[in-house]
Amino acid sequence: MHHIAVHFLHIDLGIALQVILLGFIGGVLSGFIGSGGAFFMTPGMMNLGVEGVVAVASNITHKFGKAMVGSRKHGEAGNVDKKLAIFLLVTAVAGIQLAVFINSMLFRGGTGHGAAKGAGANLYISIVFSTILLFVSLSMLRDLIKSSRQSEEDSGPSRKLANFFNKFNLPPVIYFKVADIRVSLWVLLMVGVATGYLAGTIGVGGFIGVPAMIYILGVPTAVATGTELFLAMFMGAYGALSYAYQGFVDIRLTMLLYLGSLLGIYLGVFGVKVVHEKIIRLVTSLIILLCVFSRVIAIPVYLRQLNMLQMDPKFDVYFNMTSKFFLFASGITGCLVILFFVIRAYRQRRGIQISIKVACQETPADLEPEPLSTV
Amino acid sequence: MPIIMISGAPHGLSEALAKRLQDLTGWPMLGRRVLLEEARKAGIKVGRLKTAVIKSIGPQEKLAREKDLYLAFITKRLCESVIDDKLIYCGRFGHLLCPGVSHRIRVGLTTPMHVRIKNVMEQLNLPREKAITYLEQIDADVAKWSKFIHRETAGQDPRYYDLCLNLQHINVEYAAEMIVQMAELPAFAATKESRRQLADQLLAARARLRLAANDQTKNAELGVRAKDGKLIVTYMPRQKVNEKIIKNALAGLEDCSEKLCTPAETSILWIQERFDPESEAFNQINQLAQRWGAAVELLRVVPAAGAEERPEPIKPAKTSDEYTGGVEDDEPERDDGGLTRTMDELIAEGRFAGARTIYGDKNDILDVGQEGGNYSLVVIGEMFLDKGHEARMRDTRELAIGIRDRFKVPVITSSEMQSRFLFGKRQMIKLVSYAALVAFIYLLVFKFQDPILSLLGGSLHEQWKWLSSLAVGLFVPFVAYCYSTVTGLLLKAVGID
Repeated sequence: MHHIAVHFLHIDLGIALQVILLGFIGGVLSGFIGSGGAFFMTPGMMNLGVEGVVAVASNITHKFGKAMVGSRKHGEAGNVDKKLAIFLLVTAVAGIQLAVFINSMLFRGGTGHGAAKGAGANLYISIVFSTILLFVSLSMLRDLIKSSRQSEEDSGPSRKLANFFNKFNLPPVIYFKVADIRVSLWVLLMVGVATGYLAGTIGVGGFIGVPAMIYILGVPTAVATGTELFLAMFMGAYGALSYAYQGFVDIRLTMLLYLGSLLGIYLGVFGVKVVHEKIIRLVTSLIILLCVFSRVIAIPVYLRQLNMLQMDPKFDVYFNMTSKFFLFASGITGCLVILFFVIRAYRQRRGIQISIKVACQETPADLEPEPLSTV
Repeated sequence: MPIIMISGAPHGLSEALAKRLQDLTGWPMLGRRVLLEEARKAGIKVGRLKTAVIKSIGPQEKLAREKDLYLAFITKRLCESVIDDKLIYCGRFGHLLCPGVSHRIRVGLTTPMHVRIKNVMEQLNLPREKAITYLEQIDADVAKWSKFIHRETAGQDPRYYDLCLNLQHINVEYAAEMIVQMAELPAFAATKESRRQLADQLLAARARLRLAANDQTKNAELGVRAKDGKLIVTYMPRQKVNEKIIKNALAGLEDCSEKLCTPAETSILWIQERFDPESEAFNQINQLAQRWGAAVELLRVVPAAGAEERPEPIKPAKTSDEYTGGVEDDEPERDDGGLTRTMDELIAEGRFAGARTIYGDKNDILDVGQEGGNYSLVVIGEMFLDKGHEARMRDTRELAIGIRDRFKVPVITSSEMQSRFLFGKRQMIKLVSYAALVAFIYLLVFKFQDPILSLLGGSLHEQWKWLSSLAVGLFVPFVAYCYSTVTGLLLKAVGID
């Protein structure tokens, strides 16, 4: 008789189907915008009754395989710059270590008990999360509006920041063949450490890494997405092995997530291929904005826990529910919008392919090898 | 009774064979020499055409038109010479004429070299060495002629013949008897359908010649074909001709039940850095254009980095009206990325809608859309050749999206045109195998949850922590790989790839 740890949930058909759906939405988001799985799937599983740590562990394990498949697909489409990913990985690790150190200090510095114990860290994370991602999403939206007013020639993301950093051109300058960009090593180090620090602080990689690559390094959007997934594969592997060693990985949840997410990720990657870059950026920025809103709504709870705001504790549940609502709304809306564009593009392409197929089948070219020109 | 088309090398024994056949059967006979002489008398510049082809002057629009005229003339004469479904024709490429007519016997004649040398020595009074040189030269010229006029190089390819005869061991007498016996086979008997085919080819050829003789239509790019006695003339967009002009030019045409004149239904824009009329992409686009009744416009892009070749922003297709008969002054050959050759092929197909070269980048290509091309499809071929594979794929994809948004038309890459071959039996077997494997893995995991969860976080985990970590590290990518293969193939099967 095997003894099973109590932290593993009993999974019935209903829960299984919901986990698959969570996986699908997360997969579509991460395939399309290069991130977005974790912020959606982890709280989603927790809502189903999965222990937080198991949800995180199973999700990160799932992310490992998902990122592997996603980066492979992106790689086939020419969207993964492995050299850039390695540079970013090495520098980002330093940034993550710095973030972990600051977070731990804040966590230990809490004076209260229970929820209040981590309130300082939570508040710090929420403020950084909201500020940074608000800046990112608003910049993307502003950029989009500006470019739609200008001619089509300038419809790509703003290269102002990238050009600014390129001006210094401090040697050594490294050429990244796939992304087709030249970047100074020093700019790369700065971006890597900063994104690592922010990713370590607010727990989301792609939301920071993708815009940083696009706007600061000047990487094309599709390559930023693909490279981010390649990076996520290594980070996911590290996380999965660590959590498995601690005994928190529920392989059943991981496998159920795969059933939805791998299908979703294929659709998302297909979307990147057929949907205009402007739409990709619009969807990404709107999803980030909704996430920011979700986090901002949770801030009063932390302020109350730190006695910085006078508020009845019974309101906490409403704030938390509204926060969750916006989080899920951002994921589901984003997924639906992406699927809408994907289906539209698919139908259009399918029409052409069918016409071509019919045309090629009906031409009796193989009846007799004859010249084409004789009247 | 069939039409016998004998094709043989110069100074072979094809004429002797044709004459012997005529003696045996009493059928009418037509020879290449007679045809050429008649073509000259009809005003076709056969001499200039020959000179242009032999001098390897790059095929040009006018030259291609002269070629069309020549082919129309010989088709007309051949069809008119058929009496009671019978004719003996001897030439060099008779097997390529009157395509699709089933009551033809296409005879390929191989004559030993020593016989040909002897013939040249006797007929031209040349010593042996000079006769050999002469034959080598004439064979090379004939190959060029074939390539240009018929766009075929495989003169000796048995696929093109119904009967291949080698005169190394049999003489003309035996060869003629074999052909006569073959002509009696029911497979080569004229049918209603084959007669109709011949009549349609005659009608189209006559129409082509009429249009070439008319001042208003002689320079127009027209597609002419006939079906069941109906003549269909397609004129390309942006030309000065219209239905009225064409019908006037064709007034009183014999055996024509109806004349239909339509502009090309649509046009396809093909964008590429280098064109090749022998490529698979050309073949596919040509087939598509035929099916859609579309004209094809070529847009050659010279990357900004290589623009020193000729820094003109846009070079329109050649439109000079001055007739040269295809013979231009010698000029140094300039690499135009295969544009002229491809253009020429399309002209011959009656599918040419224009060509231009632009020097620049993606944005310059997008600007072409502002010039009002009414395209139903844009095909992007091989682009950004100076970049790495990944960057090339990505830039092509982004260009496709940009064009689609700007032109508001469907865009497809030439590699996508071949995607119909991507999912076949092999992929189906792979899909089924991997799906079965995935189902088995899932069944196993959910059937034996207790021991698995124990290893992952229960009593077994306490003893084998490292094993748990290792199992997750190996098992998870394996499952992801297997299931992603299933998903990928499934989506490929429905066209999402």
